[in-house]
Amino acid sequence: MTDDTETDTPEVMAAEYVLGTLASNEREQAQAMIENDPAFAQLVRAWELRLGQLHAMVAPVEPPPETWARIQARLDGTDPSAAILLPHPDHAARVAAESNVVRLRRRVGRWRRATAGLAAIAAALIAFVVTSAVRPDLLPGVLRPKPVEIVKTVERTVERIVERPVNPGRFVAVLQQDAASPAFILTVDVATRTASVRRVAAAPQAGKSYQLWLVSDRFPKPRSLGLVGANEFAQPALASFDPATISGATYAVSLEPEGGAPDPDNGPSGPVVYTAKLVEAVPSSP
Amino acid sequence: MLSSQELVWLLAAVAKADRTAFERLYAATRAKLYGVVLRILRRHDLADEVMQETYLKVWNSAGQFDPALSSPITWMVAIARNRAIDLVRKKTEVSIEEESDVLEAAAADTPDPLAKREMTEELRRLLACMGRLDEQRRRLVLFAYYGGWSREQLASKFATPVNTVKTWLRRALIEIRECLGS
Repeated sequence: MTDDTETDTPEVMAAEYVLGTLASNEREQAQAMIENDPAFAQLVRAWELRLGQLHAMVAPVEPPPETWARIQARLDGTDPSAAILLPHPDHAARVAAESNVVRLRRRVGRWRRATAGLAAIAAALIAFVVTSAVRPDLLPGVLRPKPVEIVKTVERTVERIVERPVNPGRFVAVLQQDAASPAFILTVDVATRTASVRRVAAAPQAGKSYQLWLVSDRFPKPRSLGLVGANEFAQPALASFDPATISGATYAVSLEPEGGAPDPDNGPSGPVVYTAKLVEAVPSSP
Repeated sequence: MLSSQELVWLLAAVAKADRTAFERLYAATRAKLYGVVLRILRRHDLADEVMQETYLKVWNSAGQFDPALSSPITWMVAIARNRAIDLVRKKTEVSIEEESDVLEAAAADTPDPLAKREMTEELRRLLACMGRLDEQRRRLVLFAYYGGWSREQLASKFATPVNTVKTWLRRALIEIRECLGS
């Protein structure tokens, strides 16, 4: 893995978002960036154009007629979503009457049918692409891509708040210098007091470390949450803070000597290069 | 399915809250979208849920569709796939613990989607580029796209460490981008 630095580029994140291989928390981060970072949103659109044609290979399947009825009911506001998502009483009774074994077998059968179709598509497509690969008239010229540029100027601090977070129960903050280059994306699950920081465009600085701080009026000094940015992901330590503190705090990243601030109890020793506040995701109300 | 231009007109009418146009749009696109999300979710109840959310989003966001940037069906499929993948990533019960059955079961239920497709120029170029990928990476991309599989699931299927899957995916995607030259 000689090109590990590629992992962190917005380009690759956008591509994997569109392909669908990001984990749940990474998808939340990507969606927060789409909402707040026009340059990233543009990367995602470009990847949707590149890969979007693949759907042409998927055989159509008719949905059940109830689907349209439910969509209409939701548009009319006549059918609360709770009623839609609950199983019909008859159906629930029928399912309850079945033994676990029968249910499991049915699920396995359904799963097999679905994956068989999937494998068939992939097989057909592989056969096709292998054929097409030997037809040079189909091959477009290869253009060299521009190297990915990661611009960093750490003098400025710009606060940017996520205005429309995407998932309920989650807090998101984008730590960035400008709209084109989010440096870190912080997502926090207050219920479990867990968080993750994804390094996006903050390039590692030789002989320096990025350190994340929680700044709250409940504490006289910023509290260190640990170093971030050495790896693609970091898990800041939030377990010792209560939910109100976590959700109300400002989060700041400082540039410190390698290994972190020499006296973290006294707060950052180096310049604070990014700050942001968390914003709670609006609970979804379909 | 209706032509892309007809779908553009329908979306424009839907943006003005035209319910008749919305019904026609649904009729023209529902089977494609359902096919896409069912492959990812593998359960009709979940696919139904995602269909509802997708079409509500289409109803609310039709005005944001820009025919200069995308085709209607690609735009709608992207909405549906994103909803389906968001859901499947949160549902641990939808697992692929039986992925070893995939290939042997393939013969039983073989659609031939290529036979009835008209190939667009964009699709032709994409497939040509996919054909240039190393076979393993190509399969990885295809399974990820069609099945909505996570890196962990792909790692399990390909009997490869997750980090390797990540590297392969990254390289495959960069190769695709280079090949498409955009």
